[in-house]
Amino acid sequence: MQEIRTRYPGYDILKEEDHWDEHTREIVLKRLGPFPEHKFLKHHEAQMIFTIAQHIVYDHRKEILDYVLHHMDNTLSSPVGEDQRKTGTPEQKVLIREGLKAIDKLAKKQYGPPFLEISIEQQLSILTALHKGLAPPMKEWQTIPQKALFKKLATTMVSAYYSHPTVWSEIGYGGPAYPRGYVRVERGLTDPWEAKRDANES
Amino acid sequence: MPTNHDYVLHNCDHYDGHRYNHLDKRKYGDGADICIVGSGAAGGVLAYELSKAGFEVVVIEAGPFWNPQTDFASDELSMQSLAWNDTRLVAGSDPLGMGHNNSGRGVGGGTVHFTGVFYRFHESDFRVKTLDGVADDWPITYQDLEPYYEKIEKDIAVSGPKHFPWGPFQGPYPYPEREPISANAQVFREGCERLGIRSTVAPLAILSAPFDGRPPCINRGFCNQGCKPNAKFSTLIHHIPKAIGHGAEVLSDCMVTHVKVDKSGEVEGVTFVHDGKEYFQKAKITILSAFCIETPRLLLNSACPQFPDGLANSSGMVGKELMTHSGHDIFAKFHDEVRLYKGTPVLAVSQEFYETDASRGFVRGYTFNAHGARPLGLAKNLVSKAGIWGQKLYDIMRDYNFHAQITLVGEVLPDKNNTVTLSNEKDEYGMPRPVVTFSYGGNDNKLIAHAVQKANEILTAAGGQPSFVTPDTGHLMGTCRMGNDPSTSVVDHSCRSHDIPNLYICSAAAFVTSGGCNPTETVMALAARTADHIIEEAKKL
Ligand SMILES: Cc1cc2nc3c(=O)[nH]c(=O)nc-3n(C[C@H](O)[C@H](O)[C@H](O)COP(=O)(O)OP(=O)(O)OC[C@H]3O[C@@H](n4cnc5c(N)ncnc54)[C@H](O)[C@@H]3O)c2cc1C
Ligand code: SF4
Repeated sequence: MQEIRTRYPGYDILKEEDHWDEHTREIVLKRLGPFPEHKFLKHHEAQMIFTIAQHIVYDHRKEILDYVLHHMDNTLSSPVGEDQRKTGTPEQKVLIREGLKAIDKLAKKQYGPPFLEISIEQQLSILTALHKGLAPPMKEWQTIPQKALFKKLATTMVSAYYSHPTVWSEIGYGGPAYPRGYVRVERGLTDPWEAKRDANES
Repeated sequence: MPTNHDYVLHNCDHYDGHRYNHLDKRKYGDGADICIVGSGAAGGVLAYELSKAGFEVVVIEAGPFWNPQTDFASDELSMQSLAWNDTRLVAGSDPLGMGHNNSGRGVGGGTVHFTGVFYRFHESDFRVKTLDGVADDWPITYQDLEPYYEKIEKDIAVSGPKHFPWGPFQGPYPYPEREPISANAQVFREGCERLGIRSTVAPLAILSAPFDGRPPCINRGFCNQGCKPNAKFSTLIHHIPKAIGHGAEVLSDCMVTHVKVDKSGEVEGVTFVHDGKEYFQKAKITILSAFCIETPRLLLNSACPQFPDGLANSSGMVGKELMTHSGHDIFAKFHDEVRLYKGTPVLAVSQEFYETDASRGFVRGYTFNAHGARPLGLAKNLVSKAGIWGQKLYDIMRDYNFHAQITLVGEVLPDKNNTVTLSNEKDEYGMPRPVVTFSYGGNDNKLIAHAVQKANEILTAAGGQPSFVTPDTGHLMGTCRMGNDPSTSVVDHSCRSHDIPNLYICSAAAFVTSGGCNPTETVMALAARTADHIIEEAKKL
């Protein structure tokens, strides 16, 4: 899975942190850990989230996935609302907690062992089925809509993953840009500190 | 959580020379001339115009009084807090994304995290029934709003091209157009040029040169996260501080839960909650500027024996005909980097497809904005709206810098089945959560298909390879529409409620149709016109 992860091997956004405003720097650097103990997720739930996140964001690196996990825990333990929720879908805390139980049950039903012990292909096939809302019938799906469960898991994970500075470096994103801003914004132009491609790459 | 959040030092009561973190020293605690609920685009303009005219004005705002320097960050994830995050229930065949997608919370409302693209509506937008036989005409015309468009543009120094080729206003704008434009905007303009489609630099509520003590834009691209340098207009930094200078009082972190009617059937004032405690604000005139979900929710939640179906609702139209804009994002991949993160997100636009063209098989039209994107926003849309995840998502994101984007702002026709109603679920204030129901109609879907194809043609002409489309929406309008007929509309041509003479409803909620472009200049022009009407009415007394 760790093929060419970046077109910008020489770029490290954290080298620019001195140019960021203090408030932004504090927010971004906290994503590097260490993270406090989970407030909502239980041990087994955290392990499942960690494994599912590997598949959703297509990455194995513990330091990044730990942040994804931390963000998930933060989201689920926060009193802040969830913007929108489809009628008939339970609150996110219930959706995720009961949803993870249902995923384990589905794994056992289809393959024997619980989710964490089945093969990667089997895990992916369960996630694909949930995404499409086509998992084998179980009474749980009446209260835990499959697609809503998948979407909540995936968007929360992806939001955290693409907020991690290591990932920003890899995709060549300029990241925080205040107070400096950009001077050269037109086609083909870059400011000296922006990500530059490997000269050998076409 | 960051430690240095300030919310203007966590105060909730603000008036000239005073800021308090409690409500014991309220300036207009015994009553005001005018109470405005919501301090967004409309509420800000109303507060400014009415306090300047000498009225005693109190503004009540559910969210914080932000301090851009300490509360805003150059970061997508943390700045989702600028949005109305309270859970809304959504339904329909095309359920709407809420939160950051369309709703602001806090002083400045949606203008704090809006993109600043600033259009006037066209003449045809006010007459769609007459011209196209759909929806309804507005009770006002373009000419009624024209002086207010002009005033708003001057007041906040809108920047834009010398010549704007579409609609009745052809420029020039008060401030020069932005220069240089971003690579994404260049790509868009090149594609348009090759196809003979006219395009221009975007008209923006963003400074191209210093104005009113504020600096020009530094192109950092975080307009949707709140502008730290204050180059982008918001009512938080423009109208509200000026209103305070003219004597207005702003109560922040105060959620209005009820509009109270007296025995004579007039509004007496509003009940609001701060820190778990209930307060009352008395006023001679109440104006609801709480946008398109909270306004109908408040009116419906204020039902009382005199008005059992909710206030201002004798027509049954409160909460009906909610509109959005179809906002599909169309992407193409290029051989060279475009870098969507750089520069003001929208710097080039086209309204070539704005007006009805019978040959297209649908009525009304749309605007194209060449639109920047940041990693979280893009990846989240890919997973939640286009259903792309895992390796496929990763592959696209690795080439993030090589993508260009065009965003559609498509007119959506009003439909009585698109509604805001009350659910049985209660929120932290004990108010029923709203249910927001939305489905596209046939005309809307044909318009989208046309626009997606055109956008792909433009990107292809510019040398790109169409790669993916994320279905999206932008903006909200309607739910308390204007009209001349009290049996089919909620407010009259001055945004005054047909049923209750001292109740006004003035925000995007008053729109009759959505238009095919970003709506906020029209929201603000409408507010300035309503303020003039209130000032004129007062002179008659
Ligand atoms: C991401 C994004 C980008 C956008 N980009 C553009 C753009 O480029 N161009 C454009 O023209 N438009 C844009 N918009 C749309 C623009 O933000 C809205 O059109 C505009 O803000 C609507 O103004 P309003 O006064 O009707 O409501 P708002 O500005 O939303 O103000 C409503 C206010 O009322 C407050 N409120 C609600 N309920 C209560 C209550 N019960 N008690 C107290 N206060 C309450 C809210 O907190 C809020 O502050 C964008 C919006 C978003 C979200
Ligand atoms: S791009 Fe310009 S207007 Fe937008 S946030 Fe940055 S400085 Fe402000």
